[in-house]
Amino acid sequence: MTVETLLAQALKALVSGLTMGMVFGLVALGLTIIFGVMDIVNFAHGEFLMIGMYCGLLTYSGLGADPLFGLPIAAVVGFALGVGCYYGLVQFLLRGPMIAQLFGTFGLMLFLRNLALLIMGADPRGVHHGALVGKSFVMGPGIVVELTKLTAGIFSLLAFAAVWWLMNRTRIGLALTATALDGQAARYMGIPTEKMNAFAWGLGGTTVAVAGALLVNFWPVDPNVGLLFTMIAFTTVALGGFGSIPGAAFAGLIVGLLINLPPIWDAISAFSQWPILTAGEMHQFKYSFVYLAFFLIMVLRPRGLFGWKY
Amino acid sequence: MARKSLILVSVAVLALVMAAPVWAADEIKIGVLYPLTGGAAAEGKELRDGAELAVEIINNAKPELSMAIAKNAGIKSLGGAKVKLIIQDHQGNPQLAADLAKKLIQDDKVVGLMGAYHSAVTKTVSAVAERFGVPMINESSTSPALTKEGYKWFWRTTPHDTTFTNDLYEFLDGLTKGKAKGVKAFDPKELLPIVSACEKTEWGANVDLAIKEIGKARAVPVQLSLLYAAKAPDLSSEVQSLLAPKPATMLFAGYGADAILMVKTLKSMKAQPKLIWGQNAGFESPEFLSALGDDVNGILTRTVFSPRVGQVKKVAAEVNGLYKAKTGRDLSGASARAFTATQTWAHILEKAGSTKPEALQKAANEIMIGPDELIVPWKGVKFATTGSDIGQNELGTGMIGQYQKGKDGKITLEIIYPFELATADLIYPFKGW
Repeated sequence: MTVETLLAQALKALVSGLTMGMVFGLVALGLTIIFGVMDIVNFAHGEFLMIGMYCGLLTYSGLGADPLFGLPIAAVVGFALGVGCYYGLVQFLLRGPMIAQLFGTFGLMLFLRNLALLIMGADPRGVHHGALVGKSFVMGPGIVVELTKLTAGIFSLLAFAAVWWLMNRTRIGLALTATALDGQAARYMGIPTEKMNAFAWGLGGTTVAVAGALLVNFWPVDPNVGLLFTMIAFTTVALGGFGSIPGAAFAGLIVGLLINLPPIWDAISAFSQWPILTAGEMHQFKYSFVYLAFFLIMVLRPRGLFGWKY
Repeated sequence: MARKSLILVSVAVLALVMAAPVWAADEIKIGVLYPLTGGAAAEGKELRDGAELAVEIINNAKPELSMAIAKNAGIKSLGGAKVKLIIQDHQGNPQLAADLAKKLIQDDKVVGLMGAYHSAVTKTVSAVAERFGVPMINESSTSPALTKEGYKWFWRTTPHDTTFTNDLYEFLDGLTKGKAKGVKAFDPKELLPIVSACEKTEWGANVDLAIKEIGKARAVPVQLSLLYAAKAPDLSSEVQSLLAPKPATMLFAGYGADAILMVKTLKSMKAQPKLIWGQNAGFESPEFLSALGDDVNGILTRTVFSPRVGQVKKVAAEVNGLYKAKTGRDLSGASARAFTATQTWAHILEKAGSTKPEALQKAANEIMIGPDELIVPWKGVKFATTGSDIGQNELGTGMIGQYQKGKDGKITLEIIYPFELATADLIYPFKGW
């Protein structure tokens, strides 16, 4: 193996890590919005993603349209789902102790997952045709960029910019921030905190459902798919700092890069021919790097990289 | 008044409780552990449907079927007692499955166990069965290590991965010598380099070992092999490493959704191997086909059943017809093997003429089911009682199938290996996506 191929492999891993990182950031965005405003950890976040994915899938299989047309549908469904969950469940949980909030959204997760199992069945399903489905292009020295991930990445940047703008430059964002900082004081100032909370849930639901509708162009969907992403989303949010929008984006990139360490290891192994660097050995630990980073952050900086609460 | 009705209800409940054993006398309970929710839920459903169909055939006389369990209703040597499956969902969780197995043995008083699909789960359940001295039949867990424990209460009907992996290398060898239907002999170097990726639990890790060891012994070593987490959202880093040496042959072992994601990732990263082979499980399940559609055309998988077996075995076609009428689907490797394991249970009960564990153990060690009875293309069911593979069915064999798109646009799993059973010309090299 030459130095050029080694560098090409490293570059491939970098590109793949950054695109995947933006996808993780997008999935984590909704979670961090809800936590930022209400201090509630939404365990059902992955299930919102799964519902978004089914929106894309059903647009494709039910209406016969390109799964991309599922994006606006998913946005509406996600918003309704978020607001509905708030008024139907979460506002009651807020009156209880912390543990009630944890178990409440955990129950919501089990309910939504099993509801999906009942309606959609257990089989993983995928879309076969569409503007993004199965498309990828080659760049430079054999760097393959997958179109679904790239689109999700671009969309992720836009969503982060939009949410950041909303939170920092608009009256509604100020009201949300005020509610997040001190709900009682915000209420005294005339901010309708109930509505703000519901809006945060709606916004969180929208971003994650739209992410789902986008991801279904590549990922197969089944009722358990949320779990795969939630573990990573929670880690991303905790790394970035609970409630921090730029934190989620940045931590997403870190997670994406960390899980792309094994191919670099393999390339170095093939390049150096050192028997101690056995190729292929690192893949089984690829998520361990992520959780190790999570652990270190928890020990050294418990509020996360960009955390602003506590 | 309230008191009177309370007494009445109590009496009624007591009567029911006392009556229960009388009903149970003509019912033989077998505890079954399958993954009905979680990542392998689709396979769990297949397994359940296969086992339930076998029970229907055992409990009702179906003289039109040419198998012993269909001759009369129930187990004849036990006075026509009916078999009842108590099916529990282990969610793919080994600890949960061990707890469920204990409950089945202690609370439900099952006479035996069956399950549990995932090798990692079968491992804990078989340990429970061994401790309680309750017989367990395993239908589809293929980690070779499971029958290396020297257990006295564990029997496995399916062949295991050493057999299957041997088949794979036999197939590759025959392929280069021109034995495969429709492919001329070529230089074996064309199939190199070989790379493999297996999921990292009990099953995949053992497949990985078998692939490496047998490949080395046959002088076709695997250049790169890696293990990956099946419950993960992304496989692109794995695929990048796999594609780096420009592989000609790619070997996989994956469960459910990860197998689908693997093929999708291979396609999007523009992989161009000559041959893709999957070690059953995720590559053989019906949703692999439905989720990937035409993208599976040309992919090989080891299998133990294809509806095409019906062309060479009448009984397979008959049972497949019943299964299709019941579920709307063809039998798969999972459902066919669950059927066969349940059928084996009926043979053991019939031979034992008792539900005492010792009698069942003796019967299991002695039974011999002939090939004509089976829907799977094996030489029979006979368990090893000596040697290093105690409890393993010695007469099981594997097949290799290839997904091929027919002229009607439908995709079928054609039999490619054993070469003499081939139902279609092999597509080689893989045409790409």
